[in-house]
Amino acid sequence: MAKGRELKGRIKSVENTRKITRTMEMVAASKMKRAQDRVVAARPYASSLTDIISNLYTPDLAERFPLLRQPAEIKRAAVLVLTSNRGLAGAFNGNLIKEARNLLARLDGEKVDVELHVVGKKGLGYFRYVGRTVAKSYIDVPDRASIENAGELIDELIDRFANGELDAVHVVYATFKSALSTPPVTQTILPVTPPKVEGARPDYILLPSADAILTELLPSYVRNSVYKALVETTAGFYSAQRNAMKSATDNAGEMLNVLRRTFNRARQAQITQEIAEIVGGAAALQG
Amino acid sequence: MLKVSVISPESVLFEGEADSVVAPAYDGEVGILTGHAPMMAVLGKGELRLGGSTNRRFKVEGGFLQVLDNQVRVVTERAVAG
Repeated sequence: MAKGRELKGRIKSVENTRKITRTMEMVAASKMKRAQDRVVAARPYASSLTDIISNLYTPDLAERFPLLRQPAEIKRAAVLVLTSNRGLAGAFNGNLIKEARNLLARLDGEKVDVELHVVGKKGLGYFRYVGRTVAKSYIDVPDRASIENAGELIDELIDRFANGELDAVHVVYATFKSALSTPPVTQTILPVTPPKVEGARPDYILLPSADAILTELLPSYVRNSVYKALVETTAGFYSAQRNAMKSATDNAGEMLNVLRRTFNRARQAQITQEIAEIVGGAAALQG
Repeated sequence: MLKVSVISPESVLFEGEADSVVAPAYDGEVGILTGHAPMMAVLGKGELRLGGSTNRRFKVEGGFLQVLDNQVRVVTERAVAG
């Protein structure tokens, strides 16, 4: 029964793998829950900032604020790509990298001088592999990213955009639409695209002035866009990992069914053969 | 009554009602009572106090204050209860 023993070994091995993937699925699911809560918790702040900006913004301000400046020609741009540090998440990082590659190809085609900033080991590994110069990389952004982490990534770029060293800053990240849908997107965070004003705005008392408030507000707004991108990418990563591990667990189950069926058939065949041999032997003795 | 919310990027620290709000504006404290005119202000470093039945305090550093229709919204990157 050589074949049977071999099958038994494989069944055992697939069972063990399924145990591991099932555990990873559960771990990812609980981390996803936590990351998802952070995505939800980040919403009131973002909508408040948007609301304040839309109440202050007037087109003539755009001329005076460096962060609102719309450059006539884009010569130098920075691209910030967010990926995860870990894998086993299906096409999650692949999708982000593809989005980034498309963006880079477009910018290269437009003869823009691109500076690449990468978050996460997966993205860094890829761009190193293809030999693209990475200006800055960050592999120690925690899962529970704070606004300070976002500041570390973007503050320097904000200053350089304000000085006119950069003409645009794009962020590539995964949006967390739902646990099953985390599509990658490219967002242009600098120059700031002011939110649309709806309806009449109340006549605010401004302390000290619209200019002073915007000077403080615009960098906060940009920083928060990056924070939101970080939080959503983390949530997206864990949901992608959970889905990948769920299908791995399901596939292991299917494989086990097939293997067990084959094993049982082999065992039955052997029993049948043994009975035939016994019957044949007895018949030979009688005859 | 004023409806007050204190919002940081990571969470909403407080949401509820208060009789008065004293906030550290960039050049000194501002007090807000019911019926205040719409206002937006830059905050400095200091203590945010919610008076009345909800006696709450927050340490804030930077951020913004928005008053509109008896709703006070404090939006700040750095705020801790205490």
